[in-house]
Amino acid sequence: MLYAPAILLGRVVRILARWRKPGGGSAVPGLVVNRVAPGFLPRTLNSFPGGLIIVTGSSGKSTTTKMLVAALRAHGTDVFTNQSTANISQGLTSALLERVNLNGRIAADMAVLEMDEGHGALISGSLAPRVVALTNVMVDQIDRFHDSDMVAAMLAKIAARATGTVVVNADDGYLADLAAGLGAGVSVARYGVSAEVLAANPRGLGYSATAHDRLPAESGMLLTHIDGRNATIAIAGQDYPVGLPSRGTHYAVDALTALATARAALGDRFDPRVAAEAISTIPPVFGRGEIVTVRGQQVEFVLVQNPASFQLNVDSLEPGTEQILIAIGSDVRDPSYFWPVNTSVLGRVLIASGSKAPDIALQLAYDDVIVERVEPDLGQALDDFLALPKPAAGLKTIIFSADSMRRTRAHLGLASNKEGQE
Amino acid sequence: MTTALTIVSLLPELLGTNGDAANARVLAQRSRWAGIDAHVVDVRTVDDLPERADAVVIGSGSDSDLVTARDILATMTGHLRTWTTEGVPVLAVGTGWELLSWGIELADGSVIEGLGIVAGRAVPLAARATDDVIVATKHGRLVGFENHARGYVGAEASPLGRVESGTGNGGGLEGLVMGNLVGTHLHGPVLARNPGLADHLLRSALARLGRAYTPGAHTVAVDEIARAARNPIAVRLGLTAE
Ligand SMILES: [Zn+2]
Repeated sequence: MLYAPAILLGRVVRILARWRKPGGGSAVPGLVVNRVAPGFLPRTLNSFPGGLIIVTGSSGKSTTTKMLVAALRAHGTDVFTNQSTANISQGLTSALLERVNLNGRIAADMAVLEMDEGHGALISGSLAPRVVALTNVMVDQIDRFHDSDMVAAMLAKIAARATGTVVVNADDGYLADLAAGLGAGVSVARYGVSAEVLAANPRGLGYSATAHDRLPAESGMLLTHIDGRNATIAIAGQDYPVGLPSRGTHYAVDALTALATARAALGDRFDPRVAAEAISTIPPVFGRGEIVTVRGQQVEFVLVQNPASFQLNVDSLEPGTEQILIAIGSDVRDPSYFWPVNTSVLGRVLIASGSKAPDIALQLAYDDVIVERVEPDLGQALDDFLALPKPAAGLKTIIFSADSMRRTRAHLGLASNKEGQE
Repeated sequence: MTTALTIVSLLPELLGTNGDAANARVLAQRSRWAGIDAHVVDVRTVDDLPERADAVVIGSGSDSDLVTARDILATMTGHLRTWTTEGVPVLAVGTGWELLSWGIELADGSVIEGLGIVAGRAVPLAARATDDVIVATKHGRLVGFENHARGYVGAEASPLGRVESGTGNGGGLEGLVMGNLVGTHLHGPVLARNPGLADHLLRSALARLGRAYTPGAHTVAVDEIARAARNPIAVRLGLTAE
C-alpha cells in the first residue's frame, strides 16, 4: 500500500485537471505523483512479471513498438504500452495512473515502452528493463543532440540497464560498437539486412555509420528480400513472408526489429509464423504513405522527419508522380541537414510551402527540380493544390514535416491521430 | 566547350554532418547555369585528389572524428598548401576550417594539432553556440546557422565579417579570410543561401583561368528564393529585410 496515497492524489488531480480543461491536463497528475512519490514510476515499470521491454533509437521506434506489441499480443501476452510523449516521465506516470491498482501494480504480463533517446537516457537509471531494442543512430534534431556520438552515448546508457537481452541492428556501425562493449551479464540478439537488400538501396539505409560487413544468417535474423509492401525475413534458416504498412526498406527493417525483439521477449514461446502474421496486420500510419480521400481527391501523405526518412520516402515515391506539394515547417529549425538528401528524382514540384518554403525550394532548385510556386501560406497552398484536376500519373502527393502535417490535418479537418508522430 | 571546372569536395561523409558538402554542388550548379561545365570530385583519400582543382570545399564533422579526419587531411597537406598559395578558392566550414588552422583546443585542455595552413586556432567557447547567425561582409550580408562549441582566435586581422546576430568566432567577428580561402562557422549550404559569397569564390576560380563570370538567368531566379529564405530570419532578429 506504499503508493496508495500518491495514486489516489494523482487520480484526484486528474479529475480536477480535466474539470478545469476538458480533454487536457494529462501530464499534470504525473507531475504531482512524481513530486510526492518519485519511486512510483520505476517501481511500477519494474513490477511486470514478464518484464519491461524498451524500444529506442533515432528512427523507427514508433512503428517497431506497434509491431512488437501486435506480435506479443498474438502470442496471448497481456501487454501494457503507451505512446511516446514530450515529457516521458510525467506522461508515462499519468498513463500508468489510468491502469494501476492501489498496490501500485498493473494487471499485465509485460510493458513495452517506446523511448525517445534523450528522455530515455534521463529516466533509465532507475529502470531494469529485461530487453532493450536499439533501432539505429541517425543524424536527427541536430540542435538538440548535436551529433551522432551524443545519440550513441545516450543509447549506450539505456542499453546498460538491460538485465536480459539487448537487441541490436547489426548494420548500424555505432550499434555494432555499442554491442561489443556490453557487459558479460547480458546477451545480444542481432538483426540485419542481406547484401542483396543493401545493394538495392544504393544510398544506404540512412545510418550515421553503416557496418562494413553484413550479418551472417546463422548469427541472427535477416531481411533477405523486399518488394513493395512484401518482405521476406529469414529466421533460423526458414523464410517468413511479412506484409508492411507501407512501401520502403525502413518499414521492413522495423518489422525485422520487432521480430527479433519479440523473440528476445518470448524466448521458447516465440512462434515466428504467429509473429509475422500479426505484424502483417498493422494498418498504414497517417503520414507514412497512407492514402486518404480529401475533398473528393485521393491524396498520399508522406511524412519526413530526418534526412534518412526524407531520402527513403523520396526514393520510394511512385515514378512519374506529377502532382507534388512539399511543406516544411518551423519544426525543422535548421533545414541545412536536409541537404545531403538527393531530391532530383522528384523532377517537378507544384508548390513548396510551410514556414521553411524558400529553404526547401532552394534545395530542390539546386537538385534541378522545377519548383512551380513557393507559397509559405500552407492553407492557401493546400486549397490550390487540392483544387487541381486529378493527375494523369500517380496520386496527388503531399510531403510534409511533422509541424506541417499537424497544420495540414487541422486545415483539412482530418481526425486527430497521434499515431503519425514519433 | 573549354575545360570544365573541377570542384573538390574533401571528405564529404566524414566532414559533411550539416549538409556542408552541398556547397560543392552549389558552386558546380551556378557554374553550369552560367554555361560553364563543372564537376564535383569527392575526395576521401589522397589517391582521390585530382591533378588540378579550381575550387575546394571542406565541411564540418563530429568531434569524435577530428583525429581521423586530421590524419587523412595531413596526407594532403602538400596539395592543399600549394593550392591555397596559388589562389585556388577554398571554402572551409566548422571543424574543416579548424583542422586547417594551427590547432584545436578541446574543453579538457588537450590540443589536436591542425595542418597549419591558416593562422589562428580554435578555442572552447563558454557555451555552445546553436542559433541563426548574421554577418556583415563585403560580399553582402550572410545569413546562416551555427552550431559549435569552439570559437576562433588569431583571425582578428582578417575576419570574414562582423557579427550582427549570433556568436561567430566570439568577440564580435566571424570567419577568416586568407587570400582566396574563406573559413566560416556558417554551416550547411551557406553558398546557396548567400549567393554573394558563392559568386565571389566562383569569380576567383574563373579569373585564374582568364575567364569572366556572368550569373545565368536561372541563377537570378534561384537567388530570389535565397533572398526569401534569408529575409524572415533577419527580420525576426531585428534587422531590416533587403
Ligand atoms: Zn556534440
